[in-house]
Amino acid sequence: MAFLSVESLTVEYATPAGPIGALRDVSFSVGKGEALALVGESGSGKSTVALAVLGLLGPEARIVAGRVVFDGRDLLALPQPSLRALRGSRLGIVFQDPFASLNPALPIGAQVAEPLIYHRGVRPADALAKAKAALAEVGLPRPDELLKAYPHQLSGGMQQRVLIAQSLICDPELLILDEPTTALDVTVEAKILDLLDALRRSRGLTMLFITHNLGVVNRICDRACVLYAGSVLEEGPKAATLAAPLHPYTQGLLGSIVSLEAESRARLTPIPGRLPDLRQLPGGCIFHPRCAHVLEACRTEPQLMRPVEGRSVRCWRAGFLPHQAPAPDTAAADGAPKGAPLVAVRDLHKAYPLASRLVIGGPTLLRLQRREVRAVNGVSLTIRAGEVLGLVGESGSGKSTLGQCIARLSDASSGEISFLDRDVTAARGGALRAFRRDVQIIFQNPMSSLNPRRRVGATIGRSLALLGRGRGERAGMIGKLLEAVGLPADYARRYPHQLSGGERQRVSIARALASEPKFIVCDEPISALDVSVQATVLNLLADLRDRLKLAYLFISHDLSAVAHIADRIAVMYAGALLEEGPTAQVLAPPFHPYTEALLSAVPSIDRAHRGDRIRLRGDAGETGEAMKGCPFHRRCPRKIGAICEESAPPLVRPAPAHWIRCHLPVEELRRPTTARLVPAAG
Amino acid sequence: MLLYGARRIAWIATTLVVLSVLIFAITQMLPGSVAQIIAGQFASPDSVAAIAAKLGLNDPYYVQYWRWASAVLHGDFGRSLIMERPIGPVLWEALANSAALAGVAFIVVVIVGIGLGVVAAIRAGGALDHAVSLFTFLGVSVPEFFWGIVLILVFSRWLGWLPSGGLADPDSGLAAHAAHVVLPAATLAFALIAHVSRMTRSSMLGVLRSQYVRNARAKGLPERVVIFRHALRNALLPTITILALDVGWLIGGVVVAETVFAYPGLGRALIFSIERHDLPMIQASILVIAAIYCAANLAADLLYAFFNPRIRYG
Amino acid sequence: MADAATIAARPQRRRFRLPPTLLVGLSLTGAVLALAALAPLIAPYPYDEISVLARLKPPSAAHWLGTDDFGRDVLSRTLMGARLSLFMGFGATAICLGVGVPLGLLAGYLRGRTDEFIMRAMDVLMSFPPILLGLLILAVTPPSLWKAMAAVGIVYVPAIVRLARSATLEIAQEEFILAARARGDGTAYILFAEILPNAWPPLAVEAGLRVTFAILLGAALSFLGIGAQPPSSDWGLMISDARPFLEPAPWIALAPGIAMSITVIGINLLGDGLRQILDPELRTGRTG
Repeated sequence: MAFLSVESLTVEYATPAGPIGALRDVSFSVGKGEALALVGESGSGKSTVALAVLGLLGPEARIVAGRVVFDGRDLLALPQPSLRALRGSRLGIVFQDPFASLNPALPIGAQVAEPLIYHRGVRPADALAKAKAALAEVGLPRPDELLKAYPHQLSGGMQQRVLIAQSLICDPELLILDEPTTALDVTVEAKILDLLDALRRSRGLTMLFITHNLGVVNRICDRACVLYAGSVLEEGPKAATLAAPLHPYTQGLLGSIVSLEAESRARLTPIPGRLPDLRQLPGGCIFHPRCAHVLEACRTEPQLMRPVEGRSVRCWRAGFLPHQAPAPDTAAADGAPKGAPLVAVRDLHKAYPLASRLVIGGPTLLRLQRREVRAVNGVSLTIRAGEVLGLVGESGSGKSTLGQCIARLSDASSGEISFLDRDVTAARGGALRAFRRDVQIIFQNPMSSLNPRRRVGATIGRSLALLGRGRGERAGMIGKLLEAVGLPADYARRYPHQLSGGERQRVSIARALASEPKFIVCDEPISALDVSVQATVLNLLADLRDRLKLAYLFISHDLSAVAHIADRIAVMYAGALLEEGPTAQVLAPPFHPYTEALLSAVPSIDRAHRGDRIRLRGDAGETGEAMKGCPFHRRCPRKIGAICEESAPPLVRPAPAHWIRCHLPVEELRRPTTARLVPAAG
Repeated sequence: MLLYGARRIAWIATTLVVLSVLIFAITQMLPGSVAQIIAGQFASPDSVAAIAAKLGLNDPYYVQYWRWASAVLHGDFGRSLIMERPIGPVLWEALANSAALAGVAFIVVVIVGIGLGVVAAIRAGGALDHAVSLFTFLGVSVPEFFWGIVLILVFSRWLGWLPSGGLADPDSGLAAHAAHVVLPAATLAFALIAHVSRMTRSSMLGVLRSQYVRNARAKGLPERVVIFRHALRNALLPTITILALDVGWLIGGVVVAETVFAYPGLGRALIFSIERHDLPMIQASILVIAAIYCAANLAADLLYAFFNPRIRYG
Repeated sequence: MADAATIAARPQRRRFRLPPTLLVGLSLTGAVLALAALAPLIAPYPYDEISVLARLKPPSAAHWLGTDDFGRDVLSRTLMGARLSLFMGFGATAICLGVGVPLGLLAGYLRGRTDEFIMRAMDVLMSFPPILLGLLILAVTPPSLWKAMAAVGIVYVPAIVRLARSATLEIAQEEFILAARARGDGTAYILFAEILPNAWPPLAVEAGLRVTFAILLGAALSFLGIGAQPPSSDWGLMISDARPFLEPAPWIALAPGIAMSITVIGINLLGDGLRQILDPELRTGRTG
């Protein structure tokens, strides 16, 4: 018997313009001890499902129909007090943004202990003791100190662990997790996923895991249920669904995902079109406007779930679809030397001052301690014309700062940047203007990269105006630029809020292309986009690189995306580069220990569970105090000893164009790190 | 927190010094020289000059400023020109009266203002919320002095329940003293209650929509715990800042309310001294009022830092 | 595309339904403005016409709102007073916006020493309670309405600077500002063509509020005797003049007081209504 069963759930949101259907006839079930993944992109309604199960929907939401049966009782029909008794004690939830979900004004211990006090009537002192045990169980160090700490004093990974501890303290039987690792770095995510997996086994938890990341689904779940624009499109066991998806949408999703394992650098196959406007849903099959296999009947007949090969699909053609041929390779060979050096950075440093602190100590008893953060700590690199250098790092690595320094949006503290052999580190006036024509930048967040009060055409037009183009010329050029990025020319009259995220990002690219640059800094250009849209933008960037002979500095935390488009990869940690080389060589042994950990942390669709996962100690540490030794020594699983702390590691060269900064010799680095699941100490 | 507190104190001290310079400088620009006023309208230029010399009015400005400032730091505020008495005792008595009035008003504002704001937020959209909205709306729209006059008309003239101004005899009981304070305090409090409850309400609404309140509800905590333990703590933080600003309003309002009700406080003394060009009195009164305001700001800053864990624990 | 919940929380741009507060506020304010503009034409008597015979007369057919202790018609004086109050309100707000907005934009965008300097100057100004600063400025020179308006404008500059600065700080973080710098736009262009068009909603709302504060503060200063001077028919002055005659002739005080309340209520309603329309614009495009 299913432990949790959602039956025909239909939820609407009331808006002044009429009701929006958020969920339509959603049904799925989770057996006891099972982990079901609810997969969907933005707009799919997956968070609404979680909130509906717990009865936490806001007043604008209306449950039109359906039941949510938990252990035999319909949660939607329960009175509030009974529901409240279930929440937190038998039903737990872990939300996405850990910092926002913790009360900034209460200490951690109190927040974790609360459910015990109010659900089980435990005395506060005893509850705190149990809270301490719970914090230890989720792998947090020094739990007794943490009890009194406040949320802002913890890192993101630690905060998420606190949320998990809090949700588990009353030993719930069902745990709902709403994108619990989306906001975390890959290495931290990997450890949290390990933790969740272990907890699930040790406690026999039933899990409803909401995510958009298919790699995570593969890592931790048993079955998958795919949501699109409020409807379930496919449901089935994980392995079958990921290996041989039945619904065209799922096929499209899998086809558009970049994967590290892909041997060829094949073009990705994104899903054309955009997510539907929930106010005006297409008739017939909800996915038909974007489907490659659409037939006339798809447009008119509403689809029902059908059983196929032991799974369920909402497509009458499922199982009979023609096989899609793999896409052709992208043109660029990798690693071959490109044109002349375009951008050269030598020993760049960038430090930010922090608020000074008054400390006790020193000759005058009280002294002012000035602190600074070294975001970039002695970085040197070279980018050639037509080359893509991928810069990989997690949050706090300083990669964005580096990108902005190179684009001269902020001034370096020391070091040298040269473009086409001219020193531009401190360029001003005319020299700076010339530089800006040749070097452009694209940003991460499509919501904030365009002025919401300006039409698209005006935004692009401004760049053209600054180049001295007359008004007449501009209109034509704006149209051409929009077409170059795959948008219709009449988009020039639209405002940003009328465009989707992917379209906005393409407008940013068009804006960057206006000055006919030679080099573009791409600062996390696809990280904020939906999976199916990432592929479109990534393909576009690759095409533009080939057609216009552009060079990129492609900054991202997503190793897979970088691997797909970059010719060379540089790995950055705590302000310094640890490894650099041609893509194929960096992704194969010998590795820098950090690179190896990154690679093994990425949750992937194709690899089956690997027991030998490398985990790093602690979370991202304090960045940028002046390091004498290797910046990575505190977390390195292959640390030799004092030498790593005290002396800067030398460059090791396994191949002429590939270097690694480590004290270990090359032969050692060729051997994989032996399985060492180091507990999260320090 | 230590450094933060030290910084704020140093800043307030500096501000006070700058203010004192400003006050001194501006009042020195008063036309109708002090000597002339003392000598009277018909005095000869010689006697005016003699008085000016005796008062040290021909010394350079910074000497005069220093003389005044150092005297103030010793507690000597000089002599009033009009009343021909040392200012100090007059000031302190007036200050005591104003403090009593402002204090009563402030307590009422804190309790009623915050209370109304919280209740209105919890029952947002309901009848109570609308009633409170109407009340606060009037509070920020009706001018204070008019409201005071209306109160006098109704309660003093037509109903005859409360006195219309002044202060009770020193020997009369608490009830008589209270009666004199009620109307002015009510006038002061009305506008401020409106302001504080609006701010509290919107702050509380914002907090009630936050993710950590949603998380608290997701833990199945009883609603009263969610509101009082989780929401209120965060919602009241901005209110502390607002209350500090309101001390400023209060001080301004005190001036007006005391004038309306002929209440012998610091504000009324200031107005009198302005009307009569009593220069030393003007300087002293404004300086004391400004100092109190600065102290209130400092207290609010420190309280805020104390209750906000992000500042307190860095 | 965002989640259904986010769309629902984000008010719709297509449907343009004017909120009731806006309509009521607009009518009231419009009425007051119209009366003020036409006052010289529609007032039955000149505002300063003294008549010894008609002193302290209660409202009647000849004098709709009665007369004051100089025999002047209260209705006419109230109508003319509207002009003074509105003049004070809008004039002071114009001063405070004209000075405060550029300062706030500069401080928020340039940061560093410019920001510190501006904010410290504002801190000093803000260390004065509002009325006190007004008193200080007006105590030292012969008072007049003009000076009161300037004083009130200066008193409110710090609040506008703070608001403009915080709006600028938020907008300056947005990537399109960085993009503007990356393509070579200068500071002045960025401040006025990129930042200000996005920052004006909270400023407009605040400006509306300031108009009412200015009207009230200006009237308070006149009430205290250091704003408008006799025989002006400024409302605050009228109420102050009426105090000795409160019991025998309450209408002298009630008329200007109620008129002022209605004016301020109208402008506040208008402001509230505007805020309801403008506020959603603040939210879209940010986290939406």
